[in-house]
Amino acid sequence: MAVSLRQKLVPYAYIAPAMGITVVFSVVSMGISFYASFHDYDAFVGASAFVGLDNYRRALLEPDSYFWLSMRNTMFYVAMSVVGVLITALPLALVCQRIRKGQALFRTLYFLPSITPGVVLALVFFHIFGIWGGLLDSAATALPALAILGVWSGAGYNMVIFLAGLADIPQHLYDAAKVDGANRWHQFRHITIPMLRNTLVFVTVMTIISAFQVFTSVYIMTNGGPERSTEVITFTIFINAFSIAGQMGFASAAAWLLFAVIFVFVFIQMRIFKSRNVYDG
Amino acid sequence: MADPFRRLPVMALMCMLLGTIVMVYPYAYVVGSSFKSRREFAEDKSGLIPPRYQIGEHLKHGRGEPSALDWPGADWSLFRNYTDAIRYGRVDRYLANSFIYAVVITTIQLFINVLAAYAFARMRFPGRDALFMFLLATMMIPSAVQLIPNFLVIRELGLVDTVWGVFVPGFAGAFGIFLLRQSFLNIPSDLEHAARIDGCGSWGILWHVILPLSKPVLITLGLFTFMGAWNMFEWPLVVLSNQDYYPLTVGLSFFRQESGADWPRIFAAGVMGAAPLIVLFLIAQRYLVGGISLSGMKT
Repeated sequence: MAVSLRQKLVPYAYIAPAMGITVVFSVVSMGISFYASFHDYDAFVGASAFVGLDNYRRALLEPDSYFWLSMRNTMFYVAMSVVGVLITALPLALVCQRIRKGQALFRTLYFLPSITPGVVLALVFFHIFGIWGGLLDSAATALPALAILGVWSGAGYNMVIFLAGLADIPQHLYDAAKVDGANRWHQFRHITIPMLRNTLVFVTVMTIISAFQVFTSVYIMTNGGPERSTEVITFTIFINAFSIAGQMGFASAAAWLLFAVIFVFVFIQMRIFKSRNVYDG
Repeated sequence: MADPFRRLPVMALMCMLLGTIVMVYPYAYVVGSSFKSRREFAEDKSGLIPPRYQIGEHLKHGRGEPSALDWPGADWSLFRNYTDAIRYGRVDRYLANSFIYAVVITTIQLFINVLAAYAFARMRFPGRDALFMFLLATMMIPSAVQLIPNFLVIRELGLVDTVWGVFVPGFAGAFGIFLLRQSFLNIPSDLEHAARIDGCGSWGILWHVILPLSKPVLITLGLFTFMGAWNMFEWPLVVLSNQDYYPLTVGLSFFRQESGADWPRIFAAGVMGAAPLIVLFLIAQRYLVGGISLSGMKT
């Protein structure tokens, strides 16, 4: 039974376009940026001198590279986002679950920010925060204000995920608990929360990963200010890569450092991703 | 189904309505402000109704007192900012660009993903599992980290400031391949055998058996891809410098600096940029809400 070479090559022909693009825009691209991170590199001229680990050294050791400052701002933003999402989306899901009629309508309304361009939301909140007493004008309140926007725009999305998690909890657990005399708090504490554990971890990790990458709201609303209080890591990278001549190498190094930090969380996410039966038909 | 809110449906409804106000207010604000004249926005930044449409101002005007109806722009039609945004801000051009980017990226990405997912799901070949694992691994690279590397590639390819530079990285997506493969795996192989006996080759099976049975996942994935492409901002921002190629998102951020912050007009442009997706969402939401919970896909 001879299968022709042509036959053998058919599957590779099917996957070739996807593999080609993926290789170019992940392996090759990351390779070039890894190379750039060891060089003096300009966004439009290209590489010049090899500088070894100097870009990394500057990021990690020189305060005027603002790497740690922007990392710290990013961490604050991430922390506020996680807390904000958990204290809004989960209670919303618990409340929304109670509603029989009109649940779909609420889900739709709460989901709107997820399908609105981030640029538009940033422009609108730029004014809303202004009306609220200039939240963006003070170094103490600007970053929390940006986190509020992030939490507000993600609340509906995360609520939908929590609703799906809640729907998966078998009713008989609650029935059994009631027979045993558990009150509502006990049921929540000992059934809902443990059964929702995977969803909680999933939402937390997703929030962390996306909060680490916040950019649009900073770019549109604050430009990193006031007093660099909203300069997050993606903004520092962006400015160095595209606005300051010859700093692409440094920006690449900073991006690799960011990758290392996010990777921890991405790794956890992929573990969950694999363990979930992601598509249920 | 028990939690602290049991037997409190009225309270639950009240909470959700309160939340609805919080969720809808920014939309009411941007739509209301987009109808204001420049002067009206300067005088009344927070109001939802343009002063020239407020009864109070008309009563004042009727009594001969100074009112908003004496301000410049009081004779503006409701959609004046919208027509101005198109006439002077080229919003029609940006919208057309966004539409083209979204349609092209969605169409080609779906096509390329379908081909790859089909091979990974329904064919055996050496290296298949390793290659699939590699694809999954590329999903681990966050998009913010990929921004600069992808720009460097586009630069090497000489595609900076071209529409191809915006398109090409979006032509394949590991997540889409993953999702489609899961769906294709669930199709019974009996159908495939029957088609093969009828003389179908792999291409015929894909088009006549697999795809017709996969419409829901194709629609879901297509919609998410479209929305992602419509909303993309950072990537076109770094690739493009020629305004003629700007999608609406980049146009808006540019518009903001360019027009001397004529905010009502910017809001009008923003409404025009957000409305198509909201309409699409309302039409197709049964495909989307299901899609979110199954994936953790981030729009």
